[in-house]
Amino acid sequence: MAAAGPSVFLLMVNGQVESAQFPEYDDLYCKYCFVYGQDWAPTAGLEEGISQITSKSQDARRALVWNFPIDVTFKSTNPYGWPQIVLSVYGPDVFGNDVVRGYGAVHVPLSPGRHKKTIPMFVPESTSKLQKFTSWLMGRRPEYTDPKVVAQGEGREGGNTEAAIPKAAWICLPAWLTLSFCPQ
Amino acid sequence: MKSKEEKVKIITEEYIDDGEDAEEERQKKPSKVPRQKRKKQLPAASREEMVSENSPVDDQQEPVQEGSDTRLLGMMSRRGPRSLPPIPSASRTGFAEFSMRERMREKLQAARSKAESALLQEIPTPRPRRLRSPAEKESETECGMELDREVQRIQQEHDSQGHSRVKFHDSVRKIKSKPLVPPGFPSAEEAYNFFTFNFDPEPEESEEKPKAKNRHGANQEEKEGEEEEPPVQEGVSKTDEEEWLDGRDAEDLLLGLDHAVEDFVAIRPADYESVHVRLQREKELLFVPSRRTVPTYKKLPENVQPRYLEDEGLYIGARPEVPRTNQNIMENRLLTQEPGRRWFGDDGRILALPNPIKPVPSRPPMFTQAQDIKPELETLYKKAVKYIHRSQHLIGSGDSPGNFQLDIDISGLIFTHHPCFSREHVLAAKLAQLYDQYLARRQRNKAKFLTDKLHALRNAVQMGLNPAKTPKTLETTSKTINEYKSEIRQTRKLRDAEQEKDRTLLKTIIKVWKEMKSLREFQRFTNTPLKLVLRKEKVDQKADEEAYEAEIQAEINELLEEHTEEYEQKMEVYRVTLQRWKAWKKAQRAKKKKKKQEVEEHPTDEEREEPGPGEEPEKPAPPEPVDRAVIEQQVRERAAQSRRRPGEPTLVPELSLAGSVTPNDQCPRVEVLRREDIKRRSLFLKVTFNNKEVSRTESRPLGADFRVHFGQIFNLQIFNWPESLTLQVYETVGHSGTTLLAEVFLPIPETTVVSGRAPIEEVEFSSNQHVTLDHEGVGSGVPFSFEADGGNQLILMTSGKVSNSVAWAIGENGIPLIPPLSQQNIGFRSALKRADAISSIGTSGLTDMKKLAKWAAESKLDPNDPSNGPLMQLISVATSGESYIPDFFRLEQLQQEFNFVSDEELNRSKRFRLLLLRSQEVPEFRHYKQIPLYDREIMEKVFQDYEKRLRDRNVIETKDHIDSHRATVAKYLQQVRESVINRFLIAKHHFLLSDLVVEEEVPNISILGLSLFKLAEQKRPLRPRRKGRKKVTAQNLSDGDIKLLVNIIRAYDIPVRKPTASKFHQTSRSSRTFTEKHAASPTTHSPAHSADYPLGQALVRPFVEVSFQRTICHTTTAEGPNPSWNEELELPFRAPNGDYSTTSLQSVKDDVFINIFDEVLYDVLEDDRERGSGIHTRIERHWLGCVRIPFSTIYFQARIDGTFKIDIPPVLLGYSKERSVMMDRGFDSIRSLSEGSYITLFITLEPQLVPGESVREKFDSQEDEKLLQATEKFRAECALKFPNRQCLTTVVDVSGKTVFVTRYLKPLNPPQELLNAYPNNPQATAELVARYVSLIPFLPDTVSFAGVCDLWSSSDQFLDLLAGDEEEHAVLLCNYFLSMGKKAWLVTGNAIPEGPTAYVLTQEQSHYLIWNPCNGHFYGQFDTFCPLKSVSCLIGPDNIWFNIQQYDSPLRINFDVTKPKLWKSFFSRSLPYPGLSSVQPEELIYQRTDQVAAAELQDRIEKILKEKIMDWRPRHLTRWNRYCTSMLRHFLPLLERNQEDVEDDHRAELLKQLGDYRFSGFPLHMPYSEVKPLIEAVYSTGVHNIDAPNVEFALAVYVHPYPKNVLSVWIYVASLIRNR
Repeated sequence: MAAAGPSVFLLMVNGQVESAQFPEYDDLYCKYCFVYGQDWAPTAGLEEGISQITSKSQDARRALVWNFPIDVTFKSTNPYGWPQIVLSVYGPDVFGNDVVRGYGAVHVPLSPGRHKKTIPMFVPESTSKLQKFTSWLMGRRPEYTDPKVVAQGEGREGGNTEAAIPKAAWICLPAWLTLSFCPQ
Repeated sequence: MKSKEEKVKIITEEYIDDGEDAEEERQKKPSKVPRQKRKKQLPAASREEMVSENSPVDDQQEPVQEGSDTRLLGMMSRRGPRSLPPIPSASRTGFAEFSMRERMREKLQAARSKAESALLQEIPTPRPRRLRSPAEKESETECGMELDREVQRIQQEHDSQGHSRVKFHDSVRKIKSKPLVPPGFPSAEEAYNFFTFNFDPEPEESEEKPKAKNRHGANQEEKEGEEEEPPVQEGVSKTDEEEWLDGRDAEDLLLGLDHAVEDFVAIRPADYESVHVRLQREKELLFVPSRRTVPTYKKLPENVQPRYLEDEGLYIGARPEVPRTNQNIMENRLLTQEPGRRWFGDDGRILALPNPIKPVPSRPPMFTQAQDIKPELETLYKKAVKYIHRSQHLIGSGDSPGNFQLDIDISGLIFTHHPCFSREHVLAAKLAQLYDQYLARRQRNKAKFLTDKLHALRNAVQMGLNPAKTPKTLETTSKTINEYKSEIRQTRKLRDAEQEKDRTLLKTIIKVWKEMKSLREFQRFTNTPLKLVLRKEKVDQKADEEAYEAEIQAEINELLEEHTEEYEQKMEVYRVTLQRWKAWKKAQRAKKKKKKQEVEEHPTDEEREEPGPGEEPEKPAPPEPVDRAVIEQQVRERAAQSRRRPGEPTLVPELSLAGSVTPNDQCPRVEVLRREDIKRRSLFLKVTFNNKEVSRTESRPLGADFRVHFGQIFNLQIFNWPESLTLQVYETVGHSGTTLLAEVFLPIPETTVVSGRAPIEEVEFSSNQHVTLDHEGVGSGVPFSFEADGGNQLILMTSGKVSNSVAWAIGENGIPLIPPLSQQNIGFRSALKRADAISSIGTSGLTDMKKLAKWAAESKLDPNDPSNGPLMQLISVATSGESYIPDFFRLEQLQQEFNFVSDEELNRSKRFRLLLLRSQEVPEFRHYKQIPLYDREIMEKVFQDYEKRLRDRNVIETKDHIDSHRATVAKYLQQVRESVINRFLIAKHHFLLSDLVVEEEVPNISILGLSLFKLAEQKRPLRPRRKGRKKVTAQNLSDGDIKLLVNIIRAYDIPVRKPTASKFHQTSRSSRTFTEKHAASPTTHSPAHSADYPLGQALVRPFVEVSFQRTICHTTTAEGPNPSWNEELELPFRAPNGDYSTTSLQSVKDDVFINIFDEVLYDVLEDDRERGSGIHTRIERHWLGCVRIPFSTIYFQARIDGTFKIDIPPVLLGYSKERSVMMDRGFDSIRSLSEGSYITLFITLEPQLVPGESVREKFDSQEDEKLLQATEKFRAECALKFPNRQCLTTVVDVSGKTVFVTRYLKPLNPPQELLNAYPNNPQATAELVARYVSLIPFLPDTVSFAGVCDLWSSSDQFLDLLAGDEEEHAVLLCNYFLSMGKKAWLVTGNAIPEGPTAYVLTQEQSHYLIWNPCNGHFYGQFDTFCPLKSVSCLIGPDNIWFNIQQYDSPLRINFDVTKPKLWKSFFSRSLPYPGLSSVQPEELIYQRTDQVAAAELQDRIEKILKEKIMDWRPRHLTRWNRYCTSMLRHFLPLLERNQEDVEDDHRAELLKQLGDYRFSGFPLHMPYSEVKPLIEAVYSTGVHNIDAPNVEFALAVYVHPYPKNVLSVWIYVASLIRNR
């Protein structure tokens, strides 16, 4: 790099959130953000974005296609804390309340080139049946305080973590991500 | 590949397209195929035909080209790049396309000619075609063949709707095209070629077919969308098509559709090949190895005999098992190959490695039942062993097991003397001791033994005397008899002595018992249950007498004999001497004669002979004959003395504990006291091993019998050779500390003493302590006496016995865990290794390698045998000279290889270090971002701060804390804080569910009901209610997210200006008294004051400035002494280091300063003439006072709302309180009761933060369990009634133990010099004491111990630390008041701004006063401005009262705690006060503070502050007025001495001295903790902001020392402007 500034390397990520499969839900939108370590800083592009609402395709695949572009560039001095993309999918429930339908995270691929990632999505479960019912009734499902926690390991270890993410409902749905990047 | 075919295909394909166009009728369909055929043969003709056919339809294309070419071109254009628009229809084709088509046609023709030259590759049909977008194809075909489709649709309407049918038709069509080929070609092959070599035409076909199929079902528009799927498949499934087309061939045949004859494929029967022929042919190609055994000679070279190594005695490993047949096959196969023989060994068998499969599993088998596990294989669980590196004591130099164990069994302790012994106890102990002695003696029964011996000897003598029975010679007999006799004599003596001892012991026992009885009678109570019973054993009088007499007779006889013997001996001697004497006499007589003769001749001779008259042997007296009577007399006397009298019953004393102890209530007071004292005492033993404490027993109370039972066994795992083993006896009396009573040294047991066999031994101890007690206890080391007159004094020392046993433990395998002595070492170890000889050889037992090698050679070990492998290797290593055997075992032997860089290098790397420090969350690096990529980019200064801190950790810095005591305390606090914070950093990473997941709580019925009710509520009510804000957890916050909102509403009673020119009014202010305090205090200010103000000029123009973290906001300027601003100020909040975690926020020490200034306009016009044209004024602001609120308070309270007293300096030059105005108004007169100015504020944080939960744990406690239960109950009851009122019963002390709160209250002496200050003015003294307490710096617990709950330190700890929060201040003040004889209580409740806090309540003659311990102010009960807003609890030294009145405001409650309806007391009749001892010290000791140090501190503070002020004025010159400074310096001590009444004197003096200066300034007063708060305070006043050009400054500091290092700091800051 240039002699003037401190050396950094760049990570350019562009791609798109292609589609998702939530067999039970429709009219979803997706939010993405990046989680990265202390040595990382975004230099260009958008770190966060909210997609349009999409409906299910009518064919057998029932895919929710967003094709929502991602374009961001990071600079860093340390591979530690490699960026992770955190996706959270929201949509209306029976009563029209906007509730979270899934969280997922994946590291930005380490090698340049096209990559397609399929992320399993999950949502935190209510701690009791009663709460499940009331949350369904009130339209206030349990949510993470910050979607970024899904990209962090903290709070999952130890005894209280079982409580933290009680029974993660692993709604396995592919959220497709095509990414390409080139480090300098 | 045949060129012809190829051509055919292309054309065919072309034709199909065209053909379809042409297809107008169904009937025509079959004719299409022949046409194609024809075309192939005659290309020209086909063209003609096509023209003719196309002409009616494709007119537009006609002019350009012939039909086939058109189609082709269409295709070609389709094959172009994707981006090209599809050709919609010929009508729309432009010239460019035409030329394109032209070109393409040329190309095609060229290709065709080339095709004839049989090169498939050159045909311009690019493969990628299949990737073509289906949509394009679609549109193309659609547009191109609009008409066709219409036609087809019509056609296909006739078709069956079934899908299959359509398919059939399609296939039919296809078939029709295929069989066109000349019949000479095999149909299969044709199909093969057709599909494999050129896919291009084919897809076109198959593509169009589905299209056609679809078309007839729906509209074309719909199809467009739907048709996506089939084309996608197309590319993939081309080969599939191939197959099913084949199938369709057959189907078509089967169906027997009416095809033209030529269309059919020639059918031939399958060729038959006879089996023999085939086998023959296969034989040529295939080789089948034979299964027969190969003879050995074949496998070996010529003329070589097979050699069997086994037979030669060499080791051959077991060969892997292979079935014989397989082996044969392999051998046969190998032999047929060229160099086959080299696969065979000498023995003619295939070379094979030994069977790798071991017969035994290499993994040790798992034994579920411990059947016959070899002891050395057994895995033992051993605890982790920690080595203590004390080399001189380390046993076994590293490799010894090092696991030795001493079992110390401490069963109990008995005191033989204890200070608490009463006289009776002393006797009882004596008695017990004697009795023990007696028992011991009786057990041994020496007297009996000796008596028996005596009898035996006598018998023996008698036997010996009887010569008939002894055949020995007389001589020997007499000799033995003599021996016997002498023995008898000795034994008898011994026996007599023993018997005498027994008797005296018995006598003493009885005597002591009698003494004890008399003592019991005398004192009229019994202390000990000891009871002595003398059992009389009746004896047969006669027999006894006989035995006695016989004994005496025997003795007399013996003695007689003895004496006769003696007599005889003496007689002998006598005779001899007599004879000698006679001889001598004779000689003498002869001599005399001779002498007489020789006298004359030899006078000198005589001289020589003469000296012997002394030597002259006396005439021996004949020995007295033995008198039997005398002897008998002697014997009887002695017997009477030492022996039981005959007929006298045998006395057997029996000591029992059956006696009853007099109960307490019947004892005199002293005795009861003594018993109480015993109850308070408890004991424990510390076990010290090599002078280190290793364990201690539980503390056990001392029993009334002075016995303590422990019954504990300690297993000491030891490494060091035991040198000493000591038990230390500690005694605890009540709550005071423990005292070491004595040390008991235990012997180290012999190695043979192992646990289980060791007897319990009693080891005595004694202590030399001197104890005097004020009760019945006799004390120890102190003389006391049993007699009334005090004679016969006894001094007893505390002593006792510890019963214990010490032994070596036995390990699980029966080996005693005894540390080996140096000699034992080897044997011990070899015992362990004896079991496995090989392993012992293999490790270290081997010393002589050569010997081993020799032995190996001699014993002819087979070197190939794997079981000898290690041995051989060892030998080879040994003989080759490298005899290095590592004596260690490496766990990760490969680690070295993975170390890409050495550890030192890694540690040297700055980057690595930075990363490491950051991951350790070292405060300096916790939030370090973007650690540079290369070492060279990391500045060395990054580490400087950190390294400095590390260095300074142990260095007490005295720069900031001028006096060293405070520096130590600060350092200590800092360290405690650091450790606490570190602990919390770890805890921070543990999240709770609520930290991660937002979840609605399950609504309970009431909430549900309420929410249902809410549904009916109006959406926008007329009177909106305040809703709680959403709380934010502090983890996702960043800088700028949090704001501090300060709403300044109004102020009251701001000081007003006094014109400087006014002449000075000396107002006599009556000193306040307590009585005045609650009555309306009359003001003595004359109303004349107001007259001084010029009309129209506002009295004061105050504005408020809020400064927080160096951010400053201020309100607009209001007017008058009671301004109303009603403004909201918003200040950003930055957490330290950007760390917004709860712990970090809790420890924010910043304060919010709310300063009130007066804005003063000064005319700076220098020339009066300009007054008409311009106004030149300068705005100056004068500080009037401030309110300081710590951030932590805001954080924990969430909001602060109320009216606060403004902290106005005692002297505010140029300002005075305007009172007269207020007096007029009735309402305000109440308010004016308390002096001072007030400001109404509302402060909150936006968004609201969740304050960290303090750790609520159950702490262990030394309190009585009953008391704790009672507190729980009391709390629960109180919480039920008044959940908002905090009930304080137990608190946590510094060591983390729960303590009952009343233990903190105890009268404690205030410093004497404070009491002496106003000897006859108790009020002033009280105020001074309060002031003293308030001077101790305030430090909230949350800051010092973030997150940890509130800790209470006792008053001496508080004074030592010189920092504490409200509770400590309140406790100290309350204790002082108690010692001053006031009735004082600790009040807990809520105050503003502190929140839950503690105040002190005192009762004066008729009213109550509430003291704020943190600033020393006091308020009457009915003072509206009292910051204490609610009272929940009163705590006195012996009780707690909970407020159960309806109201809790001090104004509305009654403080009379004697009324049980108003105050619920903790201790009541049902639970009386048990007399809890205090945790406070007996008295506080104050040392005078060093005056010199204070003066030094004063100078330094002054210097620092001056420097700071200059720093804050970087753009201006700062002049110091020395004269003024020195004057102020003189004035400050006056302020300290007399805070109230100096203002006016001072003003007068200043006016006198500095008449021509305009002076504004004020003294600040603060308790001293650090320099930083002082700087902050000075900064907040804004004195330095004056930028008038000719301003001068004056700054004086005065530090007044109070006892115990409490310092009061006065800072006088002033600015002076010369008046012109």
